[in-house]
Amino acid sequence: MSGAFHGFGVAVAVEARKAVASRVMVSITVLLLAGVAAIAFGMLLAAASGQEQVIAKLGPLAELDGWARLVGVVVQVTAAGGLGAFGVALSWMFGREFADGTVSALFALPVSRPTIALAKLAVYGAWAVGVAVLLTAVVAVLGLAMGLGASDGAGLAELARVPVLAVLTALIAVPAAWAATVGRGLLPGIGATVVLMVVAQVLAVAEVGTWIPIVAPALWAIAPSSTPAAALLIVPTVPLAFGGLCAWTWARLQLDR
Amino acid sequence: MTGPAGREARLEARGLVRRFRGGAGIHGIDLDVAAGEVHAIVGLNGAGKTTLMRLLLGMLRPDRGDARIDGVRVDAAGADTWRRVGHLVDHPLAYAELDARANLRAAARLHGLGRREAAAAADAAIEEFDLGRYAEVRTSRLSLGNLQRVGLAAALLHDPKVIVLDEPTSALDPAGVILLRESLLRRAASGAGVLVSSHHLDEVARIADRITVINDGRAIGALDPTGIDLERAFFAAVHADDRARSSA
Repeated sequence: MSGAFHGFGVAVAVEARKAVASRVMVSITVLLLAGVAAIAFGMLLAAASGQEQVIAKLGPLAELDGWARLVGVVVQVTAAGGLGAFGVALSWMFGREFADGTVSALFALPVSRPTIALAKLAVYGAWAVGVAVLLTAVVAVLGLAMGLGASDGAGLAELARVPVLAVLTALIAVPAAWAATVGRGLLPGIGATVVLMVVAQVLAVAEVGTWIPIVAPALWAIAPSSTPAAALLIVPTVPLAFGGLCAWTWARLQLDR
Repeated sequence: MTGPAGREARLEARGLVRRFRGGAGIHGIDLDVAAGEVHAIVGLNGAGKTTLMRLLLGMLRPDRGDARIDGVRVDAAGADTWRRVGHLVDHPLAYAELDARANLRAAARLHGLGRREAAAAADAAIEEFDLGRYAEVRTSRLSLGNLQRVGLAAALLHDPKVIVLDEPTSALDPAGVILLRESLLRRAASGAGVLVSSHHLDEVARIADRITVINDGRAIGALDPTGIDLERAFFAAVHADDRARSSA
């Protein structure tokens, strides 16, 4: 590729190499998969044994059964916990360059800094899709292990909501990358992730914010029937806007702090 | 534009100013590095050496003045200009989770080399900087001195024609200093312009064709690299400048 994004393929290869070699990305992946599975399994087990507090927490999900109930719990947990995991991953990918001091070495290269920033987002996107697929596989195995039938077509169709919700959640975490850049470290990115989680969860539980892109995925997790598909289609505006901001901020970056 | 002795200027600073809160920064520096030349800048901590290098590499934007690389303004420099540059200012291009060889291959790719060229350049750099024992070791486990060797190798492995190194010997052992000295002399002989900084008159400053003294953000004079008592001349220049400014 030439022009402003000369060397994009090289930058993607380097960022992918770093992500694969890093224990951080592997740890986040394992924690997210194991955490979502354990929490979902625990809640369903508690509900099945008649614990009223857990049944109350499940809300309308308590009236469902089979795959619909399992997937309903998984997507709600992922909408909150997954957002945290995705935000921490982005905070690390961007903030570590400042925390480790390697950002100075990313100047004066034929591969520009905005290209490197976009390559980070591309690698993040690919990783998030991988996480979504793995999470779906884990939920499928969990469901089968819990005795849910593989012949339940409608229920299995519910399973498709897992990767969709995971990818949508990954998309709305992108502001964490910009926060880590502007704040020049991991903590500002993690702080932005916490704010995103709180805003998304509070508004979704209050069932407002259908048309706010950072709320729509959590709302769809809680109340899929009352969230129009068009509300989910505007979710990519978040990574587009904040991805653009990331590239712009990396282009304008100075080592003045 | 040409530098000393009519040679092509690899690096040029013209009236560069960048002030920070509290008065630090640089306050109008003119400086050239010609093709084939090693130019050392020496100064005490906080004199402005790193700020000058950051301005020359686009890591900072000047308040006033002009910085050029091979005649191209730094703020307009594109991939073709930057692929001719190698630098080590602040942290090396080395990631803790990668081993030395993987870091050097990544650095070579980011400096514009193709996949095969990058692998060959990384191998050659490992040999040049005597990093064979550490090639498969994660850089998080390297000593500071060996990390600096990796950083220098990463800065030089694509045979840059413009070389900027900030205190490159600060963590090196004597063997590393000699390796670097020989490497820079060889590269200058093949047409590279080399700018190195030092807060003391080390072995690398002593191989320079020119030594410029930086004090309080200004270039206050030059030292003769062949002089016999460089330290004395350096401190005399710095103290004379400090006295002149305090009495002004």
